[in-house]
Amino acid sequence: MKTLLLGMGNPIVTDDAVGILLAREVGAALGPRPDLDVIDECCIGGLNLLDLVAGYDRLVVLDSIKTRDGVPGTWYRFDATDLRETMNLRNVHDANFATAMALGRSVGMRLPDDAEIHILAVEIDDNINFGEQLSPPLAAAYDELRDEILAEVRVVLDGQTEGRAAPAGGRHAAAAGGGEAKVATTPAAAVSDEPATARSASWR
Amino acid sequence: MTRRISIDPITRLEGHGKIEIFLDDDGAVEDCHFQIPELRGFERFVEGRPIEELPRIVTRICGVCPASHHMASAKAVDGCFGNECPELAHKLRDMYYNAHYIHSHIAHFYALAAPDFVCGPDSDPAMRNILGVVDKVGLEIGGAVIKARAMAQEIQMILGGRFTHLVWCLPGGVAKGCSMEELAKIRPMVTQLYDFAQFSLQLFRDVVLGNEGYVDLIVNGPYTLDVHNMGLVDENNAVNFYDGKVRVVDFEGKEIVKYAPHEYMNVVAEHVEPWSYLKFPYLKQRGWNGFVEGIDSSLYCATPLSRLNVADRMATPKAQEAHDEMFKTLGGKPVKAQLAQHWARLVEMVQNAETLQKYCDDPEITGDNYRVVPEQITGEGVGIVEAMRGTLTHHYTCDENGMCTSANLIVGTTNNNAPIHMMTKRVASTLIKPGVEPDQGILNMVEMAFRAFDPCYSCATHSLPGEMPLEVQIIKGGKPYREFRRNC
Repeated sequence: MKTLLLGMGNPIVTDDAVGILLAREVGAALGPRPDLDVIDECCIGGLNLLDLVAGYDRLVVLDSIKTRDGVPGTWYRFDATDLRETMNLRNVHDANFATAMALGRSVGMRLPDDAEIHILAVEIDDNINFGEQLSPPLAAAYDELRDEILAEVRVVLDGQTEGRAAPAGGRHAAAAGGGEAKVATTPAAAVSDEPATARSASWR
Repeated sequence: MTRRISIDPITRLEGHGKIEIFLDDDGAVEDCHFQIPELRGFERFVEGRPIEELPRIVTRICGVCPASHHMASAKAVDGCFGNECPELAHKLRDMYYNAHYIHSHIAHFYALAAPDFVCGPDSDPAMRNILGVVDKVGLEIGGAVIKARAMAQEIQMILGGRFTHLVWCLPGGVAKGCSMEELAKIRPMVTQLYDFAQFSLQLFRDVVLGNEGYVDLIVNGPYTLDVHNMGLVDENNAVNFYDGKVRVVDFEGKEIVKYAPHEYMNVVAEHVEPWSYLKFPYLKQRGWNGFVEGIDSSLYCATPLSRLNVADRMATPKAQEAHDEMFKTLGGKPVKAQLAQHWARLVEMVQNAETLQKYCDDPEITGDNYRVVPEQITGEGVGIVEAMRGTLTHHYTCDENGMCTSANLIVGTTNNNAPIHMMTKRVASTLIKPGVEPDQGILNMVEMAFRAFDPCYSCATHSLPGEMPLEVQIIKGGKPYREFRRNC
């Protein structure tokens, strides 16, 4: 099963960079793997994402989120079904993420099943000011957050549960509106064709 | 007592925006505010950095039109280094930029504009999207859209190495040229993109112009605005997206001013309203006269339709044919029907494809004189391009060491802030009346008013909002009266 780990965000808008930072560190910690590509800086959504995701069996997105009264450093786990009920990967300039994926599937593109789309969204404080540093509250929570996200990604990739954060009491919180923590369900059927282009490191 | 309806965030728009509609006791619209948060601190962020870094930084401002910022920034930086950019570099940049336009216009038409017409303004919101379009007009359309976008993107990749976070433009030119082999890859894709542009135009004729109700909505509906128009033109006053002078034409079609990029501060000023983070540009010499139309207005639109309104002609023959058909149908220039923006984008897309064809046939395009290393620092530059959403201005200064000392940006959508506000209010006032409770169809028709402008407030942030994509809240007597939600 080929997985794409995608770090979403903007490296120069303070906490919006958190998905990028996490993708870099998680990707480095996981090391080279034949079943994993990492794109650690991605700022596109909607139809554009189809080009990136096509050919993969599984997608893991690390992104930021801002909810009412949310605590920076808290993180949530969504799958594609949850997102359909809440939002998308935010580039709604064209189509939302769920719609883009549905369109791609309808025309025969090889895309991850909904059950194999895992979005880990980190609660942030500041995505308004330009800056290359995380805000103080998120920076304070970052090391623990990174370890938890790494553990969670390992669960997604390999089913390893060691070191995984507890759903309650830790930073792993159920999102308001139905984004409750979920573990990957039955993997999608393996397919033989590989992604058109193997990609790693920074988004081109 | 005022009731308030909030549409937050607006569906199918980049960034987090909110529309608030204020109703009086009888249920008539009193006012309408279009609000968005604005990113802060860009100028402080870039001050003190090497000026040549800015074209690479500004691509992060917006994930939707990164090439527009890259090009405007590159031209401003060229100015800081004495404008020693060879002609071939300008051609290559222009070639890239026309491919970028096609990529963007396809997305807007099929994912944002077409659902309102193909599916209908009051159709089920769950299907009023590109899936609904495909469901109505055929699965092959979906495949063609994806393929055409992929080709436009591939051309950008070949020319500039990336289609986002571009690092291609350098002071004095571009980092790489276009080889014969690369041109051979590009040429057949350009042919297909031209065909796709014509196909899209025909789809518009069939679906929109073939429906009398839609034509009536475009021409006679509440979606008209009597303000001035702004857009970039070449030396023949033909539409240009990358270079030229900015022409401003009044609401009756007479030229007010045509200015070179470095003169922009003599023409454009910005007004501040306490309820909006975003400023309201206006024509400086006319002064701020408020949100008014007609002879007393100092407001302008900078949109695809504006570009066609201010130009005397298109730059390419088939686009000219499409242009003539449009203005003949809509009654000549200037067209004030803002829903015609969607048609104007398709006319532009024909020019984009023809421009790419022109460059494919240009024997100089594979040359190697695509950069000169600047030998002087002159300290100031203004770069203007037409972003897909409007005239985009970057103005930089630097010190004798080439370190940035100031940066000022007027982004495409900001130009249209006042017109969007006025258009939204007009449509809301027309549709929401005493005794008429706003329903999903009415609210979507309000959204259509600003969707025509293709406004983009993304300016970089990609955080999930964590809330429903659309909230409509009606407040009566200061208390929640009615609330409902829907998805994109």
